[in-house]
Amino acid sequence: MIRVVLTRFAWTLVILLGVSFVAFMLMRALPGDFAIAAAGSQSVSPEVLDAIRRDLGLDRPLLEQYFLWLGHALTGDLGRSFVTKQPVLSELPARFVVTFQLTLIAAIIAMTMGIATGLASARMRGRTDWFVRIYNGLILAVPNFVVATLIVLLAGLYFPQLSIFNYTPFLSDPIANLGSLLLPAFSLALAVSVTISENTRAAVLEISSQDFVMVARAKGLLPRTVLRNYLVRNALTPIITVTGLQVASLLGGSILVETIFAIPGMGQYLFDSINSRDYPVIQAIVVLAASVVILVNMLVDIAYARVDARVKA
Amino acid sequence: MLKTPSSTTAGPSFDDAYDLSRRNLLRLGLMGGAMLVGPSFAVAAGGPSETPVAGGTLTIGADADPIGLDPTTVTAFSSYDFTGLIYTGLLRWTADMKIEPDLTVSYERPDDKTYVFKLREGVKFHNGQDFTAEDVKYTFDRILDPATASKLRAQYSGIKAVTVLDPRTVKFELKTTDAAFLNYLATNPDGAIVPKGVENLSTQPVGTGPFVFESYQPNQQFTLTANPNYYEKGLPFLSKVVFKFYKDQATLSSALRSKAIDMTWLKDPKVAALMAKTSPDLVSAPGQTSRTFPIWLNMKAKPLDDIRVRRALSLATDRKACLDTVLGGSGKIGAMIPESQVGGYDGVGEMPYYKHDAAAAKKLLAEAGYPDGIDLGNYIVVAANPLDVACAQILHQQWQAAGITVKLTPMETAPLLNLWSTGGWPTLLSVALSWTPDADAIFQYVKSDSKFGTAMGIADPQLDKLITEARADVDPASRAAKNLQIQRHIAENAYVIQTYQYPLRWEIWWNYAKGYMPLAANIRSFVRTTWVKK
Repeated sequence: MIRVVLTRFAWTLVILLGVSFVAFMLMRALPGDFAIAAAGSQSVSPEVLDAIRRDLGLDRPLLEQYFLWLGHALTGDLGRSFVTKQPVLSELPARFVVTFQLTLIAAIIAMTMGIATGLASARMRGRTDWFVRIYNGLILAVPNFVVATLIVLLAGLYFPQLSIFNYTPFLSDPIANLGSLLLPAFSLALAVSVTISENTRAAVLEISSQDFVMVARAKGLLPRTVLRNYLVRNALTPIITVTGLQVASLLGGSILVETIFAIPGMGQYLFDSINSRDYPVIQAIVVLAASVVILVNMLVDIAYARVDARVKA
Repeated sequence: MLKTPSSTTAGPSFDDAYDLSRRNLLRLGLMGGAMLVGPSFAVAAGGPSETPVAGGTLTIGADADPIGLDPTTVTAFSSYDFTGLIYTGLLRWTADMKIEPDLTVSYERPDDKTYVFKLREGVKFHNGQDFTAEDVKYTFDRILDPATASKLRAQYSGIKAVTVLDPRTVKFELKTTDAAFLNYLATNPDGAIVPKGVENLSTQPVGTGPFVFESYQPNQQFTLTANPNYYEKGLPFLSKVVFKFYKDQATLSSALRSKAIDMTWLKDPKVAALMAKTSPDLVSAPGQTSRTFPIWLNMKAKPLDDIRVRRALSLATDRKACLDTVLGGSGKIGAMIPESQVGGYDGVGEMPYYKHDAAAAKKLLAEAGYPDGIDLGNYIVVAANPLDVACAQILHQQWQAAGITVKLTPMETAPLLNLWSTGGWPTLLSVALSWTPDADAIFQYVKSDSKFGTAMGIADPQLDKLITEARADVDPASRAAKNLQIQRHIAENAYVIQTYQYPLRWEIWWNYAKGYMPLAANIRSFVRTTWVKK
C-alpha cells in the first residue's frame, strides 16, 4: 500500500512539473506581454516597455526564466503579481477558498439534481423519462455562461433586492456568503447535473436488467430495498467516476461564472491574470488547479474501494 | 441641467475659489482665450435650491483594476480613475475642458518658453508633509530621469529645467514653444505632483487630492476616504468613495440597476440608453466625444502604398451609417482628433474623400489597376470590444459594395497591440484611440519618425512639419486652424481611415448622487463635488 501511494506521489510530481512547464511556455508563446497589455492603446515608447520588462526579468531567456521560477517555487516562493506587486501567496489562498466553496456547493447541487432526475428517469420511465431527457438535452445545449448572464440580467431587472452583486466573505457573514454563492453555484452546476443525470440513468437501467437484481426481486425484497442496496449502490461506481471527472469542468466553469458574478475566486483571478499577462499568478493557479484535479482523482480511486468490493484488492 | 454651471449654489468654499480664479483671470489676460477660468468651478448642484450634504458613501462600479498607483510610472489606463482622486496637479480641467489652476494660485508666462507658477499655501500631502515647490521639481526631475522609465518622459522632453525660486514659486523653462505643455500639466496622472522622498507610491499612494487611499482588495474593492486637509474648503462632500469591480458589462449594468453601485460607465451606448429608460431616476450624460475608431493602414507594401486604393477605401466608407447603426447615433463622424481637443473635428465640416461614393471608389480602384475589385485580406479588430467588431462588420459590407473584400479577424487585445506597435499587421487593423491630454499626442501616431508612424510606413515631411508647427503655436485659435489643416491633410492622403468619434464611456448614475459631471479627460474628477442624498 505504501509503495502504491509513493509511486502515485512521484507521478504526481512529474505531472505537476510537466503542467507547470507547458503552462509557462504556452503563456509565453501567446503574443503580447504584460508591458503591452498594461499600456493598452496608449502610445508608450519602446524604451519604457523594455524597462518594465527588464524590471520583471522578462528580458531573460525563456528557459532561464522557467528555471528561476521553478527554483523559487520549490522553496515555496511563487513570486509577486506583476499587477498588484503583492506576493502571489498572499492572495491565492483566499481566492482558492472561495472557489472551493463555490465548486463544493455546485457539486452538491449537481449531484442532488443529477442523481434525483437520473433515478426518476430510469425507475419511472414513461412520461417522466421523456421529460427528463428533453430537459437534459436542452440544458446540455446551453453553456453555463449563458445561464449565468441570464440570471444576472434577470436578477438585476426583477429582483434587485437579491444580493448577488455583493459578494460577502464567509468569515464576515456565513449566511450572506452562502446566499451570494447559491445562484452562481446553480448556474455552474446545471450542465454538470445533466451529465450526472444521464450517467445515473444509464447505469441504473443497465444494472436493473442484471441477474442479481432479478434474483433480489424474485426473492421478494421490497422495491425500496432493491433500489437502495442493489441498484443505487452498484450504479454509484460510474456516477462517482463522472462526478470526479466533472470537478475539472467545474473548475474550468468557475472562470466564467466567477467573472460574470464578480466573485473574487480563483477562476476570476485566472481570467484577469491571463488578460493582463500576469505570469506569476497564472503559473501558480494552473499548478494549484492541476493539483486539485489530481487529488480529486485520487479521492475517486479511494471512493471506488469504498463502494465496490472488487476494487479493494 | 447638469451641464449648466450655476454660481449661485456655492457656499463659502466656492466663493473663496471664485476669488482665486478672478485674480487668475487678471493675470492670465496675456494668455489669450485659452484659460477661461470661470465660475464653472461652482458645480451645478442638480438644482439651484439644493444644498450639498456632507458625509455619505459613493459606490462606483469599475470594470478594471488599477495597475500601480504611482502617477509617474503608471502605464495602465485603468489606474487613472484612482490617481485622479488621490493626486492633484498644478492645473486641472474644467467640465467644459478648459484649464484652471489647481495647486497653483496663479501663473505667468514671462516669455514664450518660460512658465512661473505661484503655488497654493497650506497644502498638505496625505502623509502630513507640506506641499512645496521642491515637490514640483522632484516630480518632474523624476519623470525626466531615464532610470524612472516613465511613459511621461517623452511628452515632457521639451522641459529644459525646473527651478525652485522660493518655496511657493517654481519656474519651468522649455526648449521650444510648446502648446501642449499646459494641457499635460492639467491632466491626471500626467501632471500629478508626488511628495518628495516618499517611496512605494505604486502600492501606497500619497497625494494632495480630495481622497486618501484606504485599502485595496484586488478584483473586489478599492476604498478611499475624504481628505480632511483638502485645500478647497468644504470639499469633498463625500466621506468615502468605494470602487467595486465587475469585469462583465452585463453584471456591471445589473449591479447599477440593483443599486449595489451608485454610478458606473458602460462601453455600449445602446445598453446605456436602454438602462436609462428602465428608470427615470437614472442619469446618463455622455459628455464630450473623446475617442475615435480609426482603421490603421499598412502602407509599407502593396496595395495600400497606392494612394488611390486608400482613397477608394475612404470613399467606400459610409461613416454616417456606421455611426447610426453601431452607436445608435450617439456620436459624431470622426476625423483624426475628437471634438474635445483644440481644433477637434466637429463631425460636420468638409473633409476630403469623406462623402460616401461607391462608384467613385470603384473608378479609383480601376485606375490603380484593380478593375475587378481588390482583396485586402485580413482586417484585424479587437475581439473584446463589441462596438469595434460591430463597426468592422458594417465596414466589411460597405466596402464589398465598392468591390473591396476583407476578411474580418477579431483578435485578443495583447497580441493585436503587439502587431500594431511593431507594424506586423498585413493590411488593415483597428484599435480605438482614447482621449489624450493634447491633440499633438494623437498626431504623433502619424508622424514619420514615431513608433506607430514607422509601423504604418508614413513618410511625409510636410505632415511632420505641420505637426511640429501646430505644437509650437500657443495661440489657441491659430493652433485650432492648424490642427484642422493637419486633419484634412491626413484625410486627403487617406493615411488613416477615421470613422466616428464618441465619448470614452457612457457614464450613468442614480440621481441621488448629485453634483457630478462627466469629464472628457478620462477621469472622474468631479467626484470631489459629488454628494449623496438618498
